[in-house]
Amino acid sequence: MNIQFKKGVLEICVLVLATRGDRYGYELAVKISEKFEVAVGSVYPLLSRLTQDGYFSTYLKESNEGPPRKYYQLTQEGWSHMRRLIAEWESFTQSVNEIIEEGLKP
Amino acid sequence: MTTRDRYMLELEGMLTIIPEPQRKEWLYDYYIHFQQAVENGQSEEDAALELGDPKLIANEILLGYRVDQAESTSSFGKLSKAVFATVSLGLFNIIFILGPYLALAAVLLALWAVAASIGLAGLAVIAESLLNETFSMPQALTVSIITTAIAILLFIGLKALTASFYKMTLKYLKFNTRMVKGHNK
Repeated sequence: MNIQFKKGVLEICVLVLATRGDRYGYELAVKISEKFEVAVGSVYPLLSRLTQDGYFSTYLKESNEGPPRKYYQLTQEGWSHMRRLIAEWESFTQSVNEIIEEGLKP
Repeated sequence: MTTRDRYMLELEGMLTIIPEPQRKEWLYDYYIHFQQAVENGQSEEDAALELGDPKLIANEILLGYRVDQAESTSSFGKLSKAVFATVSLGLFNIIFILGPYLALAAVLLALWAVAASIGLAGLAVIAESLLNETFSMPQALTVSIITTAIAILLFIGLKALTASFYKMTLKYLKFNTRMVKGHNK
């Protein structure tokens, strides 16, 4: 898939993944990179940016083995930001689909 | 030295300009990543590959940091650093970011110079008339009042223009970051 294209939707995906309970960074990074073939390492800067913008809050929690994990929790602001992005995405894809259907009509 | 240590050292070495505890916190994500990859049965080498080139990762982290800095304190030095951090992400950005940025910054600078010289011209007329009596004092004063007024108006307009240039550059940098982020792999 086109790289520039992917980048724009990463943010939505990270936010949506975090709606089902708090996630830790590793989980989010791996899930995202599996689907989109982006370097796992570039998901972390995205997570910190979203945290700084107030869409995530983070906390550390001890794990059974090794150092504590960092958990990401979607904030109230994060929820509304996500809904806004999804609405944008839906109207965008709808327009694209319409054009594709029109164009490929026999 | 393990692959993880080497990776972490390389990354940390490129992030020295970011002050503590911010740097520690950002690096922690990558440290933990190795930990968990190993717990999941991955080798450190695989985890390093999966994370991506530390140089590119460092560039992305630095860019986020620079943009943040430019946003929290209005300074042209910091804005320029953010622009250059964006440019270091790829050739693409030289054309779409550095070029327009330098051109617009040059235009703004020129306008400021014009405003300053119009202001100075008023003072120069007075000085000239005092020394060489080119104009009578009332004439010289009238001219200088007019030029000073023009200069003040220009300064006010330019201040607003500069502020919006600053804001728009930041906005564009952020947009651009989202578009090109993580083009490695």
